[in-house]
Amino acid sequence: MNELSLLYNYLAVGGVLFALGLIGFLVRRNMIVTFLCAEMMLQGVSVSLVAFGRYHNDWGGQMLVIFIITVAACEAGIAMALILMLAQRAGSLDTAAWQDLREEGQPAFLDRQVPEERTEDRLWPRLTPAGLEPRRDPDEELHRPRV
Amino acid sequence: MTAALQRLWAQLPGPAQHALACPTFWGLLLGGIGVWMLLPARLRYGRVLGSLLVAAGGALLACDLPLLGNWTSQGVFWLLSAITLGGAVATIVSRSPVYSAIWFALSLLGTAGLFLFQGAQFLAGATIVVYAGAIVVTFLFVIMLAQPEGHSPYDRLTWGGLPKILGVATAGLLVGILTFMLGPTKREISHPPQVASAAPSPQARAAAAGINSSQHVANLGRHLFGEHLVSVEIAGTLLLIALVGAVAIAIQGKPRLAQPIEEALR
Repeated sequence: MNELSLLYNYLAVGGVLFALGLIGFLVRRNMIVTFLCAEMMLQGVSVSLVAFGRYHNDWGGQMLVIFIITVAACEAGIAMALILMLAQRAGSLDTAAWQDLREEGQPAFLDRQVPEERTEDRLWPRLTPAGLEPRRDPDEELHRPRV
Repeated sequence: MTAALQRLWAQLPGPAQHALACPTFWGLLLGGIGVWMLLPARLRYGRVLGSLLVAAGGALLACDLPLLGNWTSQGVFWLLSAITLGGAVATIVSRSPVYSAIWFALSLLGTAGLFLFQGAQFLAGATIVVYAGAIVVTFLFVIMLAQPEGHSPYDRLTWGGLPKILGVATAGLLVGILTFMLGPTKREISHPPQVASAAPSPQARAAAAGINSSQHVANLGRHLFGEHLVSVEIAGTLLLIALVGAVAIAIQGKPRLAQPIEEALR
C-alpha cells in the first residue's frame, strides 16, 4: 500500500469532514445540532492526526487524538448541562431565542416565513417488535413476590 | 463554436485553467450546491436533486484521489469514507435532531473504521465506546428532555438565504485551499523522487517497529503513561473540573430551594 497516497486520502477525508461540520455549525439553529457539528469538526481533525502519525510512524498523532476524545467528553458534559439550562429558561433550543446578547445597534433577526411541516417529517423512528410475547400464566402472576 | 471556446480558454489566466481542468473543483462545486439544496428551508425536489448532486460531487472528489495501489484496500477505504461523509451530510441536513444524532453515530462508526484501517485499534474502540456509546446517548437524552415534541419550526429554518450560501461557500473554499496546498504531495505520488528509494520507505519503518507492530495497545499504553504522564494527570483534572462545573451549572438552572428549606428548619 502506498503510504503517501494513504496520507493524502485521509487528509482529504478529514478536510471534507471538517468542512461539513463547519457548514452545519454556521447554518443550523438548533443548539444540539450545532454542538454535534462541533464534534464533527473534532472528528475531522482526529482523522488527519491519525494519518499524520501513521505516515511519520510516530505515536504523537494517536496521543493527541486520545486527549481530543477526553476534552470532547468534558465539553459534551458541560455543554449538555448548559443547553438544558438554556432550554429551560427560553423554552426552546433555538439559538435565536438568545439574540438579546447581540451587539448594541444591530438589527434584530426576524424569521421571514416558517415553512409548513410535512407529514413525513412528523414520523418518529419506530422499533419493530421482535419475537413473540410470552404467554402469561395467571397463577404465576398472582404468586409473584411483591417488592 | 469550438474555436471560440478555445480562444476563451487561452485567454483565461493559468490558475483558472488549472482549477477548471481539475475534477476536485467540479466535485466541490457540485457537492456544495447539493448540500445547499439539502439544507433546511427546502426547495421543491431539493431532496432528490441535492442527494444526486452530493453523490456526484463525492464521486468526482473520490476519482481525483490518488490510488492506494491495492484494490481491496481501495474499496475498503472508499466504503468507509462514504459511510463517514454520507453520515456527516445526513447529520447536518436532517430536520429532526433525533435523526441528526443517529446519523452522527453512523458517521462515527465510519470514522472508527477509518482509524482501524490505519492500524489505530485502540482509538477505533475508544471512538465507538466514548463517542457513539456515551456522548451521542447523552445528546439523545438531552433532546428528549429539552425538546420532547421532536420537531420544531426552527429546525426547518436557517439564518436566511445569504448566510446559508456564505456558509456553504466558506466550507467549499476551505476544502479547495486545503486540496491546493496538498498539490505538491500529489505530484510527488505520481512522480516519486529517486532519493526516496535509497532510504527505507516509511512502510518498511512502520512495519519494523512502532505504530504497526503487533503489540499495538501495549506500546500505546507505554507511550501514554511514559512520555505523556503529565498530560494524563492534567486530563484527569480537567475531567474532574468539568464534572464539578456541569453540576454547578445544572444547579444554577433550577429554582432555588434553599430558602424555603431554611425557613422550614427555623
